[in-house]
Amino acid sequence: MAVCSLSAQTTISGIVTDGHEPLVGTNVFIVGSIDGCLADSLGRFSFTTSKTGEVMLKATFIGYEDFSLTADVSQLTNLSIRMNEKAMTLNEVVVTASTFSFGKSENFKTMDALDVVMAGNSCGDIVAALQTLPGTQMVGESGKLYVRGGESDECQTFINGMHVLVPYSAETENTAVRGRFSPFLFKGINFSLGGYSGEYGQALSSVLPMETTDAATSDKFGVSASLVDWNVGGTKAFKNSSLSFNAALTSMGLYNSLFKERNDYFRPYRKLSGEAQYKKEFSTSSVLKSYIGYDLTSVGQRIDGRNLSLKEHNIYANVTYKTAIGHGYTLFTGIANSSVFSDIDNAKTVGDHYHNFRNEVHLKAEVRKSYSNVLKLSAGVEDYIRNSTLNYDIYHYQLDYNILSAHIDAQWRVIPRLFLNLSARTELMKSKWLVMPRATLSYIPNKHLQFSLVAGRYSQIAEDDYLAQSRNTLGQSTADHAILSMQYKTQTTLLRIEPYWKKYHDLPLLENGIYQSHGHGTSKGIDIFVEDHSFIKNLSTTLSYSFNDSKRLYLDYTEVQTPDYVSRHNLRLTAKYAVGKLIFGLAESYATGRHFPVGKTPHYNSVDVNLTYLLSPKVIVYSSLNNIFGRTNIFRYDGKGSPVMPSRDRFFYIGIFVSLKNNKAYDISNF
Amino acid sequence: MTSQTFKHQVLVFALFVMASVSINAQQPCMQELIGQSLSKLQQPTPESFLNCIAEMKRIDAMFPDSIQPKHQIALQSLNFSVMNPHAPQTDNLLTEAEQTIMTMTQMKNADQSEICTLRGFLYMVRIVQNPAQNGQRYYIDVMQSFEKALKINPDNQLAKDLQHKFFEGMKQATGK
Repeated sequence: MAVCSLSAQTTISGIVTDGHEPLVGTNVFIVGSIDGCLADSLGRFSFTTSKTGEVMLKATFIGYEDFSLTADVSQLTNLSIRMNEKAMTLNEVVVTASTFSFGKSENFKTMDALDVVMAGNSCGDIVAALQTLPGTQMVGESGKLYVRGGESDECQTFINGMHVLVPYSAETENTAVRGRFSPFLFKGINFSLGGYSGEYGQALSSVLPMETTDAATSDKFGVSASLVDWNVGGTKAFKNSSLSFNAALTSMGLYNSLFKERNDYFRPYRKLSGEAQYKKEFSTSSVLKSYIGYDLTSVGQRIDGRNLSLKEHNIYANVTYKTAIGHGYTLFTGIANSSVFSDIDNAKTVGDHYHNFRNEVHLKAEVRKSYSNVLKLSAGVEDYIRNSTLNYDIYHYQLDYNILSAHIDAQWRVIPRLFLNLSARTELMKSKWLVMPRATLSYIPNKHLQFSLVAGRYSQIAEDDYLAQSRNTLGQSTADHAILSMQYKTQTTLLRIEPYWKKYHDLPLLENGIYQSHGHGTSKGIDIFVEDHSFIKNLSTTLSYSFNDSKRLYLDYTEVQTPDYVSRHNLRLTAKYAVGKLIFGLAESYATGRHFPVGKTPHYNSVDVNLTYLLSPKVIVYSSLNNIFGRTNIFRYDGKGSPVMPSRDRFFYIGIFVSLKNNKAYDISNF
Repeated sequence: MTSQTFKHQVLVFALFVMASVSINAQQPCMQELIGQSLSKLQQPTPESFLNCIAEMKRIDAMFPDSIQPKHQIALQSLNFSVMNPHAPQTDNLLTEAEQTIMTMTQMKNADQSEICTLRGFLYMVRIVQNPAQNGQRYYIDVMQSFEKALKINPDNQLAKDLQHKFFEGMKQATGK
């Protein structure tokens, strides 16, 4: 029996269970006193109290409703207490349907940026790392995110809630791009594969919201170097704020001279990047975050007898402010600007010139409030103001438009274990309104299991090039999502199974030389994800499998067909094993062939390895080798029926990350 | 980080913290009860820690608007957990400590430096539980929490000492 207070006259005793098993360690006591004890291994309790007359007995155990009994103290003997499991509140529940979360926003994190980077063959690219997850397609010649049968531009990126117009670096055709942002910028990455709430719009398939880290608490300065990129960054921490900068040069010149490749570059790929962040915490509930990033990308490639020369300037900036405004309300405001200037000489023929300018201003305001443990509401408005200009020889267009939207979102615990997220989003463009209801119904019987049913309508305006060739007839495309999500999670194992169905309406379709909203399509499939940490100590493994059946009539298609970026089956297996200061990673990626007019491509297969060595607390060495068996994968067939292959079969990466002023280990981010 | 030396150091330190409870003259009864409860930790067995935490919860039920019992619930739960990282009660205690810290954060009179210290201690215990997996994952969080605590209150002795212990533990773990 547990040790109990011995200083009183009346003995209180009994047994406490959950109806089946004893609840060991239940705290049983008399309210308003310190008299009490902990239930023993059989659920029994016994203690003495000096209290007399009517008292309140209380029993508490984490995860269970408090038990209270008011009675005369003399009657509190041989009690049989049955505790009821506590229903989770909205704050305790994270509905995971159709979403993969990395990093830490509120609760303990399951993976962090370093885990993401060391996954598979990412080479530090956040987009490549996310492609190890189910629901994504292997589209090797693009490198972008293609989700559940959707085009790459159907997945949109948000930083601190603000939209990023172009989240990828520039590249020549049939060369894989990388994400513009380092995973180390972020403390939280939420990748939603569909069925997201009303807060996010202008994305037909999926959203990638990312939250930057909080203000730094100490100064940092560090450098990193590899065969392809060189980086210097630092942070100055003030009392409640921090200022960071980062500069990076990526150049394939050295690498191309060391390792042969298929493409013929007269000017190797180069990217010069500069970034700065300022963050200030006015109080625990008032936070200002700002970010500005600039990339200059340049590459020159000999293609079909001409010297294609590409240059792109990409500037992105955002400022957000979140503050408590009293009575439990939180106000969020933000502004973001994206500007992208692209120039290509000899783009299609010798002597031509292509110029494109795209700009977007995103304004957003939102109010959030928790009314109780069972109801949370948020409502917001936002505006996307866009303009773009394109000049290509005699062809020219200029577009100016804006999309005004409002949304309201309610999270409601209907009854214990049953949660409903209802939201509605409305958008106004060119005097045409769209109303899009969305709902997620989740049954969460315990902390291990979740079942969710998700349905909603989503919208997105077509790409500028199609809008310009539509004579103002092209409206927004919409997609209806229906997803069933089942998740089982223990401390060592995660299993998620998600069948889904999507129906596309009003896609751009080329008819009589102009694009009209007459296209349509469907996409259905199932995603399976298994993560396990239980096979061997320090070994973590994942399995991602996606089946997709997608058909569309859009763009220049003349009949309903499977889009050429779709592989019916995608499989990724990863393993990560830590031994001492070494971390080994192994990844296998497989995808079935894609359909083209000249035939189906062979299946895609790549086995990748990576190795991280913690040389010292301030020095980390990371290396990887992609496609170790050197299989020549064929990504697609071009218009002439020629196979499009990667520029090289294998890619070797080695980099060293050094912290010079940072007092922390394993922190390869100095930014 | 799991070495007996490290645990012993933390234990000695926990007893030091236990002995240095500040006295709030406005609530002598509560202070007396807290003092009585903490005095039982002079025999720092797992059972005495668990009973002390249970008593702190009873005191917290008596003084729900006071922050000090909550501070002791979180602190003693973390002290128990760092000493017994794989005990059957540890996961529940860590969950409770996390919830208690969240509750403290929302209290108007909360000392943000103390809250950052407890949060850093919480991450530190997670590392002690599983150094291989959680070391790289929570190292930054531990350091940033203690740094933030000391930025808010440079005289926070608990933060200073825990930070020092953490550095020592990491040196042992990395051999540097």
